[in-house]
Amino acid sequence: MAVNVADLDLRGVSEGLGKRELSSVEATEAYLRRIATHDPVLRAYITVTGDAALAQAKDADAEIARGKRRGPLHGVPIALKDLIAVAGVKMTSGSQVLADHVPARDAFITRKLKDAGAVLLGKLAMHEWAFGRPVTDGPFPTGRNPWDVRRAPAGSSSGSAVAAAAGLCAGALGSDTGGSIRGPAAMTGLVGHKPTYGLVSRSGVLALSWSLDHVGPMTRGVWDSAVMLQAIAGADPDDTSTRNATTQDYVQHLEDGARGLRLGLLKRYYVDFPGLNDEVRGAALTAFDVLRKEGATIDDVDAPSLDLAMVVWAPIMSESYEYHAETLRKTPEKFRDGVRTRLLLSALFTAQDVQRAQRLRARIGREVDALLSRVDALIFPGQAAPALKFEDFPTTGFAPASIRYTAPWNLLGLPAVVVPCGFSREGLPVSIQIVGRRFDDATVLRIARAYERVTDWHRRRPDPARWTL
Amino acid sequence: MKTTNDRRAQFDAECRSAGLTLGARDGDLLYDMWLDWLPERDRLRATVPEPEDEPWR
Repeated sequence: MAVNVADLDLRGVSEGLGKRELSSVEATEAYLRRIATHDPVLRAYITVTGDAALAQAKDADAEIARGKRRGPLHGVPIALKDLIAVAGVKMTSGSQVLADHVPARDAFITRKLKDAGAVLLGKLAMHEWAFGRPVTDGPFPTGRNPWDVRRAPAGSSSGSAVAAAAGLCAGALGSDTGGSIRGPAAMTGLVGHKPTYGLVSRSGVLALSWSLDHVGPMTRGVWDSAVMLQAIAGADPDDTSTRNATTQDYVQHLEDGARGLRLGLLKRYYVDFPGLNDEVRGAALTAFDVLRKEGATIDDVDAPSLDLAMVVWAPIMSESYEYHAETLRKTPEKFRDGVRTRLLLSALFTAQDVQRAQRLRARIGREVDALLSRVDALIFPGQAAPALKFEDFPTTGFAPASIRYTAPWNLLGLPAVVVPCGFSREGLPVSIQIVGRRFDDATVLRIARAYERVTDWHRRRPDPARWTL
Repeated sequence: MKTTNDRRAQFDAECRSAGLTLGARDGDLLYDMWLDWLPERDRLRATVPEPEDEPWR
């Protein structure tokens, strides 16, 4: 084996397997060695399933040797956020409430990944119940940013971001209720894709807020996310939100480029937002110029009701209170202060607050749908600022102002992908975001790839020599 | 203009109405978060939906 597996993206690992330059066992062993070496600092994993992964890898190698490669994920080692069930493997959701919980059944998407031949390396750290804040202490630390271990990778899919960015797996799945895939992906230089609501099943995935929850890929490259999405997308009888799931070929048009596409830049709401970091703004505007040069037409667009998005998001999140209320009453001490308080706030919303929020959510959706009838996709910076130091992370408030860059798209269930577009002066990744029409995930991935293929931000890797405390 | 005491009394009343029984620490933490959220809640309550603003339309 001449290749350094940890430097490859998922495509590199997959192609290495396809060309027999690399075996699945070699790749799996390489990741397990890297986890053993670096995870004591990075803390990406809650559970490493090394023996099971090696057994899966041996099976994959044997099948591939017989000429029966199932597809691009066959033999590829990946990992899952610790709220996605794997039968017989502990699933904690980063919470003491579930510290010893072992699900009996695979999640639907776990089965799909196993069917695709993926090797499961383990379960990844996350913010408590996908709703907490970054922590470095206690039984469930949330992981350190591989670009600067003094900084948080954001969350809640923190371990998924750390593992994929640091080369502790070839790709990961996260979940996203207000930005929990896209936020950490942006902070660690990854592609993070929140698919259309209803495209990917959540059965066997612990809920936070069921009308906002999405599951999707976090990877080093756009192709990587496309093949992971291909494996997990589709209707599941056990998740009625997927009843009308319309799947596409997410790889076929990746190389079609941006020529002829019409993009709408949400300038007023996002680029002009005073809380946007100047370096992120500059890098994003430069990235949009690249898309123009690649042949896209970009016009400023606006949906005034986006100003209501954050007013609306919190009451809708009261779904999480309903989910947790009973456990919260019985064992409040098993929730960290920040999560407990955020959940309790929902008890103070009235029925009228929640229903008004639903009506205003419909208004935002109507306005954005009108925009998306005129353009193929919406574009804007992927985050408000680069990764924060742990001590600078807000400890009060229901949600930081920066969540405006991600949460509106959970409310609307539209496909949204972040793709890296540069680095700050301090060497921290920044990104742009692309939002498309419902069930047109292929177009947002195509636009992301049109940008990615003429830039090299996605090829940069964090330096393991700096992973010390 | 509401005083801090008025605000705290309003908060305590809302907690009672919601059936929340809180210890001192949770009470203080939740009060801070509730205060932080109040301007947003006021905006929510001040925004009148249009007839066509229906979720399942």
